Amino acid sequence: MMKPSLSVLALAVSSVLLTGAAGVAGAAGGTAAYTADPQQSRLEFAGVQAGAEFKGVFKNFTAAIEFAPDALANARFDVQIDLKSEDTGDKDRDTTIRGADVFDVARWPTAHYVTRTFSKTAAGFTAVGALTLRGVTKDVPIDFRFAQTAAGAKLEGSAKLKRLDFGAGQGDWKSTDEVADAVKINFSLVLKPKT
Amino acid sequence: MPSRIPPARYGAVAQAFHWIIAALVVTQFVLANLEVDLPIGAHKLALLARHKSVGMTILMLAVLRLLWRLWNPPPALPVGMKPIERTLARASHYTFYVLLFAMPVTGWMMSSAKNYSVSWFGLFTWPNLIGENEAAFHLLHTTHETLSDVLFAVAVLHILAALKHHFWNKDNVLLRMLPFTKSERS
Repeated sequence: MMKPSLSVLALAVSSVLLTGAAGVAGAAGGTAAYTADPQQSRLEFAGVQAGAEFKGVFKNFTAAIEFAPDALANARFDVQIDLKSEDTGDKDRDTTIRGADVFDVARWPTAHYVTRTFSKTAAGFTAVGALTLRGVTKDVPIDFRFAQTAAGAKLEGSAKLKRLDFGAGQGDWKSTDEVADAVKINFSLVLKPKT
Repeated sequence: MPSRIPPARYGAVAQAFHWIIAALVVTQFVLANLEVDLPIGAHKLALLARHKSVGMTILMLAVLRLLWRLWNPPPALPVGMKPIERTLARASHYTFYVLLFAMPVTGWMMSSAKNYSVSWFGLFTWPNLIGENEAAFHLLHTTHETLSDVLFAVAVLHILAALKHHFWNKDNVLLRMLPFTKSERS
């Protein structure tokens, strides 16, 4: 058995305190807590195959968002993506992407993204977070805009990553001749207050 | 209709269209046959990407060729041909023109139906003609293959006819489409 370290204890204590302090907002330090409405939210990816872009979506994902434009220090996004829910509109391509050479959903069914730091930009905000895909964790920055709405908030943004950083491409797909390394991510989340 | 007197030979531009497109069509058959039985993988994708790029090249050349032909009438058929031979010759030529459009367009639609946009040698991407549709893809695939069989059959007829004209009838039908030759036969 591992002994709980001082830092784990400190984290536990502080999270208890923060949870208590969050009160009505239900989130830490001046942020509001939301979840993405699965019906209206969209998480899209775009790759390049044989010189032409193709797009796909993840049909199942959850996003827990704690955010307020004036409380970036306490903001946090936590996104879980069901990788086998990817859909590029072609059975052959989907079978390949879900298969052992790309996502390997049998071994790694989900991808996980957790933010670490936030900063303001001219157009909106940037967050740096850790993406875990195929058992590999690497930082991926995202750019986004945030707008409060009557029913909650809207979060729209994009990211760029390299699929081979995560080993998403083994065997034939290690080559970037036919499938480019760069993948674009676009998201448009309709956020509802966390209940 | 153009009122000019038909020339004795095909012009250099018409010959260039004929032989370049013929070479590209042969390339298409080779690429398709290399690709068709491969499992899904980088090699199959590479061959398919070439097949699509060459196909779109043929489509663009077919447009130019048709426009060129409208303003530049082809030489008349030899006087001695029987009506049935004239009909066959014309029908095969029209079929070629239809297929030069139908083959690339059905291929392009196949790609669109599978949500694989067509790139032209990686330089630019053509818009999708239809939305993703698996049933449409299978129908288009069958159509594309059937049309390729028709194209093959008409090409065989076309080549045999050209050789028959040259060696049997000893007329200038083959020579007038051959660059660097003269049409007059002694």
